[in-house]
Amino acid sequence: MNPSLALAAAAVFAIVLLLLRTGDPEPADRATDGPSKSGAIPDQLEATALAERIFSREDQEFVARLQSRRLQQLYLEERRRVAVHWVRRTSEDVSGIMRKHRLSSRQSTNLNAATEAKLFWQFVELKFLCGVLQLLARVSGPHVLVNLAAHTGTLYQRIGQALPQINAVDGTAS
Amino acid sequence: MALVRKAYDDLERRTLSGMPGDFARLIYLASTRDYNSGMYHHEGLAARYGIEQAREALQTAHREIFRGLVSLPLEQLVAELERYVRNSHEAPVGFIHAWQELEPYRVAVPMEVDSTMVQLFLSNVRLALEILRFRQEKSQACQPASSLQPLLGR
Repeated sequence: MNPSLALAAAAVFAIVLLLLRTGDPEPADRATDGPSKSGAIPDQLEATALAERIFSREDQEFVARLQSRRLQQLYLEERRRVAVHWVRRTSEDVSGIMRKHRLSSRQSTNLNAATEAKLFWQFVELKFLCGVLQLLARVSGPHVLVNLAAHTGTLYQRIGQALPQINAVDGTAS
Repeated sequence: MALVRKAYDDLERRTLSGMPGDFARLIYLASTRDYNSGMYHHEGLAARYGIEQAREALQTAHREIFRGLVSLPLEQLVAELERYVRNSHEAPVGFIHAWQELEPYRVAVPMEVDSTMVQLFLSNVRLALEILRFRQEKSQACQPASSLQPLLGR
């Protein structure tokens, strides 16, 4: 591989990770962060429906039909804020779940290396996607991200669904 | 559990079904919650089914109505809000202004729901209010000056 290309890829990866670690939630987000059920995997319909609603083209088209520049600008600002919030929460939630899983895995006597490796890869992929999503949502607005967001939501659910099964097989409780 | 179900059905049949739209239901259910403790209370339901059962029924109904509003496309949410404004018997201009200034809809959010859902709801209501204001301004601009007097005077 070309060394400069590898360096550029590593730099992008580092920026994305840095964004995830240092990106401060916006003030409006903080007010409602408290009572949320962070760490709990929402049911499938809820997670998917929520992502679809945030990144919906239907809403964008509705606002466009109103033919007001001010409204379109406001709409994009509002959606960008919610999208960034969604990505941050997804990333934080899955990190929390993996932390719990890591702790419970230490007591496991029957770990399946292949399953663990697959889970870890999904986790890394999801974290990376969250970083990319956050970066793109800030730079270009949420609506270019529909497919990426849907894939991220699916990965998140897959990890959430895989963990109880793995823990049941391993004989651990998370 | 059966009593909670009965209380929920009762609440829906006698009270919620008679209300004009989900925004009215949301605001009503939020108003049955104590500001300080976050506990729900409804005298009639509590007398019939017990305090705890009534509380749980109110809480469940509140979350369901909220979830329904969050999952609505923006266009439908605007229609729901417009319906609520119409049924409030307040002057639309004053209503929209007060809601934009005071943001009373924040109090209508149930406790312990996903924070992204809360963010999306608050964001959509802000947008819906702005859209209603835009429509209001547009319709006023189309009217002759004399017909604006009653609206502005209120």
